[in-house]
Amino acid sequence: MREEVLKRILLTIGAILMAIICLFPFIWMIVVSFAKDPTFLGSPLVEYKSTLENYVRVLSDPTLHFPAYLKNSIIIASLVTLTTVSISSLAAYAVSRIEFKGRLLIPIFVLGLSMFPQISLVGYLFKFIEKLGWVNTYQALYFPYVAWTLPLSLWILLSYFSQLPKDLDEAAMIDGASRIKTLTTIILPLSAPALFSTALLVFIAAFNEFMFALLFTTDHRARTVPVGIALFQGVHGEIPWGSVMAASVISTIPLVIMALLFQKYIVSGLTAGALKGE
Amino acid sequence: MDNNLTSKLKYREAKLGYLMILPLLTVVLVFIILPVLGTFWISLHRDVTFIPEKPFVGLKNYLRVLSAREFWYSTFVTVSFSFVSVSLETILGLSFALILNERLKGRGVLRAIVLIPWAVPTIISARTWELMYNYSYGLFNWILSILGVSPVNWLGTPISAFFAIVIADVWKTTPFMTLLLLAGLQAIPQDLYEAALIDGASMFERFKSITLPLLKPVLIVALILRTIDALRVFDIIYVLTGGGPGGATTSISLLAFNYYNLGDYGIGSAISILTFVLVLSFTIVYLKVGRFREGLK
Repeated sequence: MREEVLKRILLTIGAILMAIICLFPFIWMIVVSFAKDPTFLGSPLVEYKSTLENYVRVLSDPTLHFPAYLKNSIIIASLVTLTTVSISSLAAYAVSRIEFKGRLLIPIFVLGLSMFPQISLVGYLFKFIEKLGWVNTYQALYFPYVAWTLPLSLWILLSYFSQLPKDLDEAAMIDGASRIKTLTTIILPLSAPALFSTALLVFIAAFNEFMFALLFTTDHRARTVPVGIALFQGVHGEIPWGSVMAASVISTIPLVIMALLFQKYIVSGLTAGALKGE
Repeated sequence: MDNNLTSKLKYREAKLGYLMILPLLTVVLVFIILPVLGTFWISLHRDVTFIPEKPFVGLKNYLRVLSAREFWYSTFVTVSFSFVSVSLETILGLSFALILNERLKGRGVLRAIVLIPWAVPTIISARTWELMYNYSYGLFNWILSILGVSPVNWLGTPISAFFAIVIADVWKTTPFMTLLLLAGLQAIPQDLYEAALIDGASMFERFKSITLPLLKPVLIVALILRTIDALRVFDIIYVLTGGGPGGATTSISLLAFNYYNLGDYGIGSAISILTFVLVLSFTIVYLKVGRFREGLK
């Protein structure tokens, strides 16, 4: 019994510590985003006064370009999600259901690709993008992101499709449905949870990507949120912390809400992608 | 006749199969395989922007990189970062997973909270940590001042900057570790614990003889996935220290990036390929461990 009590106490302390550790940087971001003067901890003379000024500034000050960053990120991440999920659904269907030579090599090959460090692509990719005249365009990020998010997407969908009974397809095909029709009218609707968790993970990965976005965009109007926030600078070179944190909160809140609402899907996607791939 | 028809159908099926994987293969070939091969090709040339001649130099770039101290120093930084960071993540992630696996009031809320660091984009979390590490108005030095300790220049000295990066990285990546380990914990049959309880095994004994051994396969996968990822570290260092002070926290990816920025594509590409070799060596260990496990089954 004493052990049980000790365990309860340890668990409670652990749970409280855990919540504090996970939350405090996020809360700090919000606190500073509302501060009139973000240096309020620096001197007893500066008081914490809350204000919406930082938010108004990042959304309206044309020299900060933040609305453009947000727009670019959302458009690119959405297009990438749509493409990656479509392409990998087709491939996952073929690998899990159609007999053809070498089909079992595809998932292993694709998994192998995800071992490449991003930096091992950029030497050539940068020249390639430049040669195509794509610097500062959406396609400069769109294509590399699709390629980059395909392995995870394929693995999640493949592990889901393989669990669906093959009789489903056969029954439909006896009724005269084509393969593509079977995929779109039977397999995809049944796989809605897996498609959804894949889409969430791909969107978040594309929204967060930094290295390619940093290299392939030079113009403010073409930059994405991570690059914009990493390079935010005031007119005199100082970091406008109030604006940086307000922009961070605006970009993070939707992602956090998504993560909280769709927790189940994200967790199943992350663990399927990682543990099925072992 | 009948046979002929089946083989025709089979042929059509196979053709459809190839057609369906074609988009995936095309994108991956053009935007991953081609760039990696291209980068390797560049690494065999002296390739500097603004100099139009790009002569083939064989492995000269590699020799130059491998004989430079900065490369070995960056490799050391990257490997020690990965080791320290992944170890701390594992300890913290395992603790979190053990807590979340218990029947506890508010467990649903805690599970949601643990996902938050994962959902915050790396760059944004790095910037928030950068602000908290600020010398004159950061949160940490303010806490120190309340405790009566003199302020620390967190990002300004090599050792403290290294640990500042590690801590920010651990915060961001612990959720992933927690989720994987929690999935592993949930796969352990409950009756094992009940049987051990009847045998009078203590909490610690149950952890040592049931939880740890049964969690090992998942733990190994999680460790290796995180290590491979940590060896490619770039974003968080770029934001927090830019590789400083004085190059003290420059990871290999960042070193390669710096050469690209200087316009030296030959050297940058050679370092990039060596980064890949480093990750690959760990991946081979990963596959070996995987096979070792199959042998056990």
